[in-house]
Amino acid sequence: MKSIKALGIKAPNSAILAENIIKNGAEDGIIIMLSAGAEEGFKSIAKKYGLTYEIENKNSVVVVRMIKSEIEIEELDVTGETCPGPIILVGDRLSSMAVGDRIKVTSKSCEAIEDIAISTPQMSGKVIDQGTEGDKSYVVIEKTEKKVEVAAAVNRDKVLVVQSNGIGNAERAYATFIFSKAALSMGKMVTVFLLMDGVSIAKKGNAATVKHPAFDKLDKLMKEVIDNGVQVYVCELSAEFRGMKQADLVDGTKMAGAATYVTLLSDPAYAVVNF
Amino acid sequence: MVYEEMVKELNKLLGLKGSPVAVKLIKSADEIPKSYPKMSKKKRHCEFIQDTRLEGKKGYATAQEHLCKGGAGVMGIEPLPESVASGKMYHQLGNYETTEGALETVNAVPKLEEKYYASIYSPLESAKFEPDVIVILLTPKQALRVSQAYLRAKGGRISSDYSGIQSLCADAVVAVAERGVPNMTLGCSGSRKYAEIADEEVIMGIPPKNLAEIVDALETFKEKWGEL
Repeated sequence: MKSIKALGIKAPNSAILAENIIKNGAEDGIIIMLSAGAEEGFKSIAKKYGLTYEIENKNSVVVVRMIKSEIEIEELDVTGETCPGPIILVGDRLSSMAVGDRIKVTSKSCEAIEDIAISTPQMSGKVIDQGTEGDKSYVVIEKTEKKVEVAAAVNRDKVLVVQSNGIGNAERAYATFIFSKAALSMGKMVTVFLLMDGVSIAKKGNAATVKHPAFDKLDKLMKEVIDNGVQVYVCELSAEFRGMKQADLVDGTKMAGAATYVTLLSDPAYAVVNF
Repeated sequence: MVYEEMVKELNKLLGLKGSPVAVKLIKSADEIPKSYPKMSKKKRHCEFIQDTRLEGKKGYATAQEHLCKGGAGVMGIEPLPESVASGKMYHQLGNYETTEGALETVNAVPKLEEKYYASIYSPLESAKFEPDVIVILLTPKQALRVSQAYLRAKGGRISSDYSGIQSLCADAVVAVAERGVPNMTLGCSGSRKYAEIADEEVIMGIPPKNLAEIVDALETFKEKWGEL
């Protein structure tokens, strides 16, 4: 795509020039740098030639992007890939794409697609669209510029409870939800991530077999926490390793992949409690 | 592309003085076609254009041969001198009331971002390379016909921009090469003085891709309107 500097040219000459360039070899659009105020008339040109219109002010320079609307979208089907395969494939693909390019990721696993969507911003991407087509879920991602991170104070108002112990360690299993309740009572937003043997806690029927002398049965405590808005994620790989599927999990829990876990850990607003 | 026949037609239709000039910027010496010598004298880019146009000279010029550092600078052959880049030189020459005004223009002059080793010049009819730009010096009436010819296929308007400095280099070569559409310029003080661009002449830079349709249109105009 042509990128042109046309500084010092005022409207309407700037628009005349741009139109001439588009008509004579730049049908897919142009990126043109103009002096402030010279962008007058460009929107109508974009409309005339079926181009999108985007404008960005950089100091005294205006950057106008007029680009063909029908961006060709690459497709990547990650069906059948074992976690963390899907996120690795998408991450690798995104890293080689140019800013503005798009990719449509599909999978028969809606959890894999949601996992990818959650972690997209971490991979210099933006979710454009997400949904289902037939028996597959999809997400359309556009490559964005890598944001320069600026150090800033972050209010740690979230708590992430990570549990790798299962119902075989009752005391730790209970701690997952006791700490969650405590955090909720302090006004914190709470997320639970169960991995490795921790996923056994979420299997239907398992928690009901665990009883702490001082508390109600574990399944009731878990339900109470979930009913109060805590999202409980279950590691997809750990669950599969134990022969568990989403249907085997208690209501209110959700399969998630490595990318979701890493995204949660990377969020500076989270205080992380690890068991 | 072979331009010999097109140039013959162009001369017949317009009555050009001298040849259209093929100009190409190259990144390494490997790209210099055989039989194209280094220019024997240090001259300005606009002088190379004139020598090629009027005397049929052909050759290439590196930073060493480019006398005008402003011209070589905007074409990416060497860094733009600080006195030019800052606008100071043009302010001192009297073009601008203030240094700020000079800088406002200098910042707007088309400049190539990429670096180049040399520029190559040849009469278009005998060029052994594909030019980046074709530079033609015309009378205003001839320029009118070329403009009309360029627009005949698709209509619209021509937007030409210039600033009275860096003309045959920035306006006629860099702007056209970068944008892919023709540009017309009135020259500059330097080109009028040193390259002796005639008072009655204007300069057009044309993308090579448009030459064939321009010639076709000029032929149609001749049929419809008679001789120029």
